[in-house]
Order: sequence, then structure tokens, then C-alpha cells
Amino acid sequence: MHLDYRLSEDWDENSINLAAADETELRYYAATGDVILRNDQSDLSARWGWIPLIDFALAWREIAEALAVTEGSETFEFTESDATLRFERRGEEIIIRGSYASGEITVPFAEFGERAQDFARRLDSELLAKCPELRRNLAYQDFKLSGLSP
Amino acid sequence: MSNQRVLTSTAASAWMAVGIILFGAWYAWAQEAPPGSPGQVIVTQRAIRHIEERHWPDSPAQGAGKFGSGITEDSLRQLVKEAVAHGRVRHNTNGRPGQIYEFDFGHPIGITIDGRPAYRLRVVVNKWNQLVTAFPF
Repeated sequence: MHLDYRLSEDWDENSINLAAADETELRYYAATGDVILRNDQSDLSARWGWIPLIDFALAWREIAEALAVTEGSETFEFTESDATLRFERRGEEIIIRGSYASGEITVPFAEFGERAQDFARRLDSELLAKCPELRRNLAYQDFKLSGLSP
Repeated sequence: MSNQRVLTSTAASAWMAVGIILFGAWYAWAQEAPPGSPGQVIVTQRAIRHIEERHWPDSPAQGAGKFGSGITEDSLRQLVKEAVAHGRVRHNTNGRPGQIYEFDFGHPIGITIDGRPAYRLRVVVNKWNQLVTAFPF
């Protein structure tokens, strides 16, 4: 499974005060871009440019944590549409389906957790380099994007 | 007489205790209650701008529901007000704070991400009842 992101060139980091933005502003208005999610057979990427990537990273981590303790399914709701990603754990595998694209991606659970963690860590690193004022934002620091394993 | 005085005093103390408890409960509720009471969403210019960028008929944003042509800031406020007053409410998902209201207007209010008529509105508010986003679906 390939999981990656691309910060949108249209995202204006000066559109909100990143040093003072609260949790909701960070999860809805900041660091928007594309999500690339695919394997050799299926492409569930969401190249819409507006996906809040901090929110995406946090939600994936939460989903990985939820599915680590019990089998079942979890749903990710995109913030600006009714599109969803559905995650179903079957044994040691996760099956991912999107409401907006055909096909599915099956990935070992351990790899799913690693990819989610890697996504969050890379995003954190890029954002802190690009927007150092985020270091002063307590809400952002509380997210611990690089600090918790799924 | 003395017994009656004791009883009266005990009753007064009990009522006073009840009063203190009720006041304490009210005070605690008042401290935690969001500024907008349920059903009253605070619409900021920041939220309006965000919705215009993503969901206005001429917005180039892909993969996002769009309002029908003719939408104005005033009509958006009306749609939001109606959805919050009459819609189904649920907690936001995926660890996001706040609430989501959804309401079916029974007639198209825009188009869905795949170009079909959208009859429903989703309204997202934060934990202070401030509008975060709203879009047809």
C-alpha cells in the first residue's frame, strides 16, 4: 500500500494564525492538500486539494488504534463532502474501500499502522519546517503527530 | 414547642442545602455551556469565506458538494438555521470536536460530488457552536 500526501500550492499558511489556531481550525482549515492511497490494483487517492492533512493523519491514527484492540470496521468521513473511507479488519488484514472510487486495498494490519505513523511523522516534519510558528501552538503540540505510535 | 422549633430549623437547613446544590449545579452548567445555546449557531465571516471557497457554485474545488446557483450569504444563513433547528444531530467523528447536523430539505439545494441533485445539508459546528463548514450532499 502506498500512502502519501501533497500539500496544496493553494494553501496559504497566512490565511490563519498558525501560532494561535485552535483544534478545529487546525483540523478543518490548515495544511490542505491531496491524499495518495493506492496499491497495484486500486487507486483510492483523493486528489481534491482541500483535504486537511493534519486531520487526516490524526483520524488514521485513531482508526488504527481502534482496530488494534478489536476486529470490526471504522469509517473516515472527509470534512467537506459525504465521501468516506471504510476500514474493515479481518484477522491480521485491513481492507480499505472508498465511497468515491471502485476497488479495495488489502494491507497487513501491522503495515497499516506503520504507514499511518509514517504519514503523520513526515507531515509533522514538513509542517514544522515550513511553518515554525506551529511549535508555539499548544493545540498542535497536543496532537503529537510524531510522538505516538498507532 | 422546642421539638417544633428543631423540626422547623431542620427543614430550613434542608431547603438551604437543596438550594446550594441546585445553585452549584446551575453554576457548573453555566460555566461549561457553549456561548450559543443548542439550535443557535454562531456564523462567523471566517466560516462564510471557507464555505464560499469550497462550496459556492463557482468554486473550483473538486470532490466537494456545491450549493445551487443563486445562493447568497443570507440564504446560506437561513439554510444553516433550518438544518440546525430541524436536522438530526450527532457527534463529529474521527476524534474531531463538535457536532454535525444533517437535514433533508426535500428539494434540491445544490449538487453532490458526483453531479446529482443534493437535497441534504451537513452543518459542522465546533464545541462553542460556531459554524465550521456546511455543504450540500
